[in-house]
Amino acid sequence: MIQIQNLKKSFGDNEVLKDINLNIAPQEVVVVIGPSGSGKSTLLRCINLLESITDGHIHIEGKDITDKKNNINKMRQEVGMVFQHFNLFPHKTVIENLMMAPTKVRKVSPEVARNKGLELLKKVGLEEKANAYPSSLSGGQKQRVAIARALAMEPKIMLFDEPTSALDPEVVGEVLEVMKQLAKEGMTMVVVTHEMGFAREVGDRVIFMDGGYVVEANVPKELFENPQHERTQAFLSKIL
Amino acid sequence: MDFRFDIIAEYAPFLLKGTLLTIGLSIAGILIGTVLGLLIGLGKMMKNKLLAFPFTLYITFFRGTPLFVQILLVHFGVVPLFLGETNAIYAAIIALSLNSAAYIAEIFRAGIESIDKGQMEAARSLGMTHVQAMWNVILPQAFKRMIPPLGNEFIVLIKESSLAAVITAPEIMYWGRAMAGQYYKVWEPYLTAALIYLVLTISLSFLLNRLERRLKTE
Amino acid sequence: MKKNILALLSLCVAIVLSLSACGTAEETTSEGNSSNEGEEQKTLRVVTNATYAPMEYLDKGEVVGFDVDLIKAVAEEAGYELTIEHIGWDPIFVETESKRADLAMAAITINDERKQTFDFSVPYFQSTNKILVPNDSEIESAEDLKGKIVAVQNGTTGQAAMDALVGKNHKDVKKFEDNNLAIMEMESGGAAAVVADNAVVEEYAKNNPNKNLKVIEDTSFDSEFYGILFPKGSELVEEFNTALNTLFDNGKYTEIYKKWFGIEPNIEFLKEQQQ
Repeated sequence: MIQIQNLKKSFGDNEVLKDINLNIAPQEVVVVIGPSGSGKSTLLRCINLLESITDGHIHIEGKDITDKKNNINKMRQEVGMVFQHFNLFPHKTVIENLMMAPTKVRKVSPEVARNKGLELLKKVGLEEKANAYPSSLSGGQKQRVAIARALAMEPKIMLFDEPTSALDPEVVGEVLEVMKQLAKEGMTMVVVTHEMGFAREVGDRVIFMDGGYVVEANVPKELFENPQHERTQAFLSKIL
Repeated sequence: MDFRFDIIAEYAPFLLKGTLLTIGLSIAGILIGTVLGLLIGLGKMMKNKLLAFPFTLYITFFRGTPLFVQILLVHFGVVPLFLGETNAIYAAIIALSLNSAAYIAEIFRAGIESIDKGQMEAARSLGMTHVQAMWNVILPQAFKRMIPPLGNEFIVLIKESSLAAVITAPEIMYWGRAMAGQYYKVWEPYLTAALIYLVLTISLSFLLNRLERRLKTE
Repeated sequence: MKKNILALLSLCVAIVLSLSACGTAEETTSEGNSSNEGEEQKTLRVVTNATYAPMEYLDKGEVVGFDVDLIKAVAEEAGYELTIEHIGWDPIFVETESKRADLAMAAITINDERKQTFDFSVPYFQSTNKILVPNDSEIESAEDLKGKIVAVQNGTTGQAAMDALVGKNHKDVKKFEDNNLAIMEMESGGAAAVVADNAVVEEYAKNNPNKNLKVIEDTSFDSEFYGILFPKGSELVEEFNTALNTLFDNGKYTEIYKKWFGIEPNIEFLKEQQQ
C-alpha cells in the first residue's frame, strides 16, 4: 500500500530523516514510537507531503507521490490525517467541518455530505454535537470530530500524528477506542504515539525510530518483550 | 472675537452635501481598497520572490509617499491620461482606493499570518487546493481578526479624504475652505468641519465596537 | 546599534529645538515692532502668497516679483527693514488680523468687505480679471462662461467675478488653492476656462506659448486695485502711503513696473483713485 524508499528529509543543514525504507501492507496498522526529535512526525508528514521530500521516493498504491506529474491534491484525498492539536476549523460547526472537504473537493451534494457526516459522528459518538462549534467541545471530543472529518473523505489510509498527546488523561481512552474500532474495520493506519498499550493491543507492527533512522521493526510482542537493539532497550526501559 | 453662526448656517447645505460626499468617498475607498488589498496582500505573500516583487513595490510606494502627492498625481496625471479630462471625484476615489489598498494589503497579510499553520495543513490534508484552503478556511478566520484594523483604516480614510479638497472634490473640507476664502474666517469653517469629521469618526468607531463584540460572542 | 539610534534621536531633537527657537526669535521681533515705537530701524514682517507670478512667486526658494520689488522700495523710502515670508493665501489674513504680520503684500484687491477688518494703503496697481482659455475655445466673453466649468483660485476676485456671474458656490466654479492648480485643471481638460487677475493670466500665456492659450478681456469684469494690507489701526499706513507717493513721483515705481511688465504704468489713473 505504501512503499518508502531511501527517504531523506533535511531542514536546512539539519537532516531529520536519514534513509528510511518501509513497506506498509493494506489493512496493516503500523505504530511508530521513539524519542522526541527522532523524526517520526516528520516521516508521517512526508507521507502526506505536508513536508517536501529532500530525496528518495514514496509510492502510495503504486503511484510515486514525489513525481510532480501526479496531482498531490488527489493523493491527499486518499490519505486522511489526524493532528496532535486537532486543527478543527473554529469558524465552522462540527457538521460543517465534516462537510467542507467532501462538498468542495469531491463535489458531493450538501445533503449527501450531511448524511454521511452525521453517520460518521454517530460512529464516533458525537451526533448530538453536530451543530456545536469546536470551541464548545472537550479535547477528546475535538479529536473524535477530527477523525470523523478525515474519514468523511473516505480515505484508504489514515495517518495519526500523536493524536492523544494534547489530551487530558481521562479522555485519551475515548479517542483510542475510536481508533481501535477503525483498525478492526480494516483501515490501513500509521500511528505515531506514546501510548504503548495501544501499540501492543492494536498494532500489527511497531517501528522504533531514533536519530532519523528506523532502528528496529517487529510485531509488538517481540519488540516490547525482546528488543534486539540497545537503543530500543534503553528507550523502552525509560517509558515502561 | 465674534463667532458668526450666520455664515455656518449659510454654508450648512453645502457642508451637508460635502459630508455625504466624504462618506461616499471613504466607503468607495475602503471597499475598492479591500478588494485590491486582498489581491496585493496575497501577491506579496507568494513564495516566488520575483512574482511577489511588484506587489512589494506597490505597497512600498503607496505607504512611502504622501497621499497628498498621490491625489495630485492621479488627478492631473492618471485620470486625464484615461479620460482625457480631469474628474475630481474619480481621482479622489482612485487615489484613496490605491492608497488604502497598500495598507489593507498589510492588514490582510498580518491577518493571514496570524492564523495557526495547522489550519492550512488540516485543509490541505483533506485534499483541498491552496486556493480552496485560503478561501474556505484561512480567510474567513483572518477576516474576523482584520475587522478592527480595517475599521481603523476606514476612519483614517474619512479623515484623509479631506485632502481631496485640493483637487476641488466638493467634500467637507472643500466647502470649509470656500467659506474661509469668502469671509476670511478661521474658527467658523474649520471648527465646523472638525466637528463633522468628529461625528463621523466617533459614530463609525461606535459601530465597529458593536460589530467586534458581536463577532466575539459568535 | 542602540547607541546609534539614541544619537540620531538626540540629533533630531536638537534640530527641532533650534528650528523652533528661530521661530520664536522672529516672532518676538515682530511683536516688538508693532507694540513699541522705537527710534531704531525696525524689521517688519511681510507675509505673502508666492504663487502668483509675476506679482510674487518663488524663484529657487526666494520670494520675488513686482510686489516684492515695490514693497522693498517703499520700505526703504519709509526707513524700514523687511523680512518677506511666503505663507499661503488664507494665512495672510489670519496673520495680519492678529498683528503677527506687520503687513501683507500679495496682489490683494481693495474691497469694502476686507476694509471692515483691515486697513489698506492707497492703490498701487490696477488689475482686471481676465479669462484664460485654450486657443480653439469658443468662449469669447464672460457671458459664454455660463454653463461651462470655470477654475478659479479660492477666495480671489476671480472667484468673486464668477460668483457675480453665475451665483455664489455654483457647482460649475471649481475653487483651487492657487491659480497654478486652476490653470493645470484647465489644461488637463477639467475646466473650460480660468478667471484670474490679468497680470497672472497674461504672464502665464506669455511664458507658455506652446500651450496655445489666449487671454480674453471682458469689460463686464470690474477693474480692481491692489493695496498693501495692514492690521486695523496700523500706524504704518500713513508712512507707507507717503513713501508710495514719493515713488510714484520720482520714477522709481515706473522703473519697477517696466522691469516686470515691459510697459508704462498709468500712474495718473492710480493717483486719481486716492481721492
